[in-house]
Amino acid sequence: MVTHEELERLADTLFEKTEADELEIVVTSDNSALTRYANSRIHQNIGRMDNGLSIRAIFGKRIGSASTNSLSEDLALRALKRAETIAKHQREDPHFRGLPEKAEGGKEKSSSYVPSTANFTPEERADAVKKIIDHASRKGVDRVYGSFQNSEQGLFVANTNGIRKMEKITKACLTVTAIADWDNDRGFGWGEACSPDVNRIDPVAVAEVAVEKGLNNIDMSSVEPGEYTVVLEPLAVKSLLIYMGFMGFSSRAVQEQRSFLNGKFGKRIMHEEVNIRDDVGHEEMVGTTFDFEGVPKQRVDIIRDGVVNEVVYDSYTAGREEGKKSTGHALPMPNPSSPITMNLILDKGDMSTEEMVETTDKGILVTRFNYCGVVHPVKSILTGLTRDGTWLIEDGEVSKPLKNLRFTQNLTEAFSQLEGIGKEQKLFSFDYYPVFVLCPALKITNFNFTGGTEF
Amino acid sequence: MEDLLEYGLKELDKHGLRYGDIRFSDISTESIHVKNGAVESIKHRQSSGYGIRVIDGGWGFASSSNLTEEGISHTVKRAVRIAKASSVASDPIRLKEITIYQDEYTSPYRINPFDVQLEEKLEILTEAESRMKTDECVRVSTANFTAWHFAQLFGSTEGAKIKQDFIQCGGGISATAMDGNDVQTRSYPNSFGGDFHSEGFEFFRSLELVENAEKVGKEAVALLKAKQCPSGNTDLILETSQLALQIHESCGHPTELDRVRGTEASFAGTSFMTTDKLNTLRYGSKDVSLVSDATTPYGLGTFGYDDEGVKARKTDLVREGLFVGYQSSREDAAIIGVPVSGNMRADGWENIPLVRMTNINLEPGEWTREEIIEDTKRGIIMDTIKSWSIDDKRLNFLFGTEAGYLVENGEIVGMLKNPTYTGITYEFWNNCNAIAGTDEWRLHGVPNCGKGEPGQIMRVGHGCAPSRFKDVRVGVGKW
Repeated sequence: MVTHEELERLADTLFEKTEADELEIVVTSDNSALTRYANSRIHQNIGRMDNGLSIRAIFGKRIGSASTNSLSEDLALRALKRAETIAKHQREDPHFRGLPEKAEGGKEKSSSYVPSTANFTPEERADAVKKIIDHASRKGVDRVYGSFQNSEQGLFVANTNGIRKMEKITKACLTVTAIADWDNDRGFGWGEACSPDVNRIDPVAVAEVAVEKGLNNIDMSSVEPGEYTVVLEPLAVKSLLIYMGFMGFSSRAVQEQRSFLNGKFGKRIMHEEVNIRDDVGHEEMVGTTFDFEGVPKQRVDIIRDGVVNEVVYDSYTAGREEGKKSTGHALPMPNPSSPITMNLILDKGDMSTEEMVETTDKGILVTRFNYCGVVHPVKSILTGLTRDGTWLIEDGEVSKPLKNLRFTQNLTEAFSQLEGIGKEQKLFSFDYYPVFVLCPALKITNFNFTGGTEF
Repeated sequence: MEDLLEYGLKELDKHGLRYGDIRFSDISTESIHVKNGAVESIKHRQSSGYGIRVIDGGWGFASSSNLTEEGISHTVKRAVRIAKASSVASDPIRLKEITIYQDEYTSPYRINPFDVQLEEKLEILTEAESRMKTDECVRVSTANFTAWHFAQLFGSTEGAKIKQDFIQCGGGISATAMDGNDVQTRSYPNSFGGDFHSEGFEFFRSLELVENAEKVGKEAVALLKAKQCPSGNTDLILETSQLALQIHESCGHPTELDRVRGTEASFAGTSFMTTDKLNTLRYGSKDVSLVSDATTPYGLGTFGYDDEGVKARKTDLVREGLFVGYQSSREDAAIIGVPVSGNMRADGWENIPLVRMTNINLEPGEWTREEIIEDTKRGIIMDTIKSWSIDDKRLNFLFGTEAGYLVENGEIVGMLKNPTYTGITYEFWNNCNAIAGTDEWRLHGVPNCGKGEPGQIMRVGHGCAPSRFKDVRVGVGKW
């Protein structure tokens, strides 16, 4: 990977050559690898290396942006010239208040970078996959599917207001889908683990979870759609939290009045035991400690004791409100999707998943949700389907596997109807954004299932 | 690039591989986003590099942006090492035999969007954006433009050498109205950025965003006062912007042969359209014929050759209601014993090619949109994608649209808000009983199709005409 000194030199060159009033450069670097397997055979195995240089040039309130994936001085200067040319032809943005100033905070988390993850080899990934295949086969499951990825990612941000920051993080994620009865298209089970430290992932233990679920998911029954008490395992809760974040936890959504939190600040909208925050400082959380503008990520208590408290800001949305400062949640700017929550945490409670099941007369146990879609963001209505293991709970026991169900549910209502919060949190990452989620299982009453599938 | 390709192929030869290919790409993107009177972003992005794919006991792929001989040598070695590692759990890999080409392809366009002055683009976007503010209820208005230029060079150890050059562009507008109780959005010509073609700036001009802006703003405001979409079963008429998504999700994805074989089982999912159903499954009514067509003029999924060097072609997926074909790779086609369809595409140089949609088109029928409405006693017209969700076998779907229109006794009698509909894929398509003809057939571009690990985003096309489906469940959920 490119060194800090090389990036400092590049920043010096660009700052010296620029004609702009303000300049920001953001360099991302990625060295990642992923092994995918299906039908108990490796079918894709990749490694990739890339860098990205984004330049934001500002003349007054006119902003231009250009990027290249080359860090050569020649192409970097060409990108600088292009950003400046765009800015000169740009119209003034009345909402822009200038690039962020240097701020204290954001001390690097040593736990987010683990060299053994960065150096994990294709042979080690393949060996782990082989162990998963062999373990599943011993248990009578001949087909497993999934991926094992490890990555090392760097972020460098510098601007003409004095910000210069660099940090690297590592990530390892393993997923296992067991299909216990491929010929009859049933017996799906899922296991997953994510950590900055690849050595904390036990492939056989993850496989065991998937295999056990798959073997117990053979003779599926149907239930009528309707309202049920649900026990949502942490992975299912993750989906709800991610979409809640997209629908309402950003200052941009609030400013544009499309957040379900609009008009609710200071009011209780969820169960009093619900605490949702964005906090990269949590000991189990992973991520850079500053955002793509170089602003240290602040802890933001979004929902405190069920009450709407605050949302996340970048410098642009902070500039639109008197007295607000960025909370350090910017994506690469300018960006109509920024800011976003990047390190979402739902506080844990005191129930085990087993206790949630034992205290349920009739309900449904959900492993995870698939392909969720926002039906109405202001009403926080989300739809999606269960996947890879859904079971009926009767008289305090998991009684039989169910065919997958579609839910269509107001999430604010769901988080008001809690009957239990899990006492163990699990860490998950999200594929398309630099987002991590740490959350426990939940028990929710009157969860609305609106349809079913044939499998 | 050509010198580096020759160098890379020689490096591959040194390893005595059964198969190897190298794909260089140089990609430029320009995007402009205007919102509420401000040009929020103008971005230019450039990315170049190459991906190397090899078979050596198993599959290996490595990509890099280091465009030097040293970088290529290193990346070849990395790809070979990865392939050897794969061999601990690989079956012998077979590739379907294909005709090997040395050729060039350039997508047709009249005006290169990258040559058009920024001022003209801004003038169209800012004027369209401001014209949507027809009422103080319109609180958020946006206008977008995006253009792509792809220069690609592909070579393989089988002797293929293919140079391709594509220009694509498009855009759209969107207005969001609020009245304190509700929020409603209306978009044109489609949501999520608009509509896109493999065409030059002439396509963006033809969208007539400025001319349509006032109507969009008024419809957003009208939706605030519209009645809630009723719940129940009824005839459903889909406009093309929504039907494009229906085709994408319920025919495009389930006919991808890699999903059918299980290679996406842990992520995107599998498919209900399994090989035992080929040539037997009654997917739709006799009116329904769907094709994968990489030759459709101006389609966002149109090319000369796919990323395995397979020449662009048209493949029947559903013919008069019967499921008859798949989208496939060379490997999938060899394993299953079906024709190779040329559907392997990669998102950029850094990603491995996957089975991806090209243009998945519903062939036109013989009705007109007006005749379909006149023939409908009671039904709902739904228009423009708002939300989508479908299960991992592509059977149970629930889609939300921006606007609905109630039809009674052959006439549109009112607007409906929050329209949703749900169904089971093959039941839905078997209930298709009217498709409009060629005159109303539209080709839509979808620039955001996600698939694979690591996630890849692909640009695909869908051609269709307004169509009617009977007995569809609408108005899902509690409102």
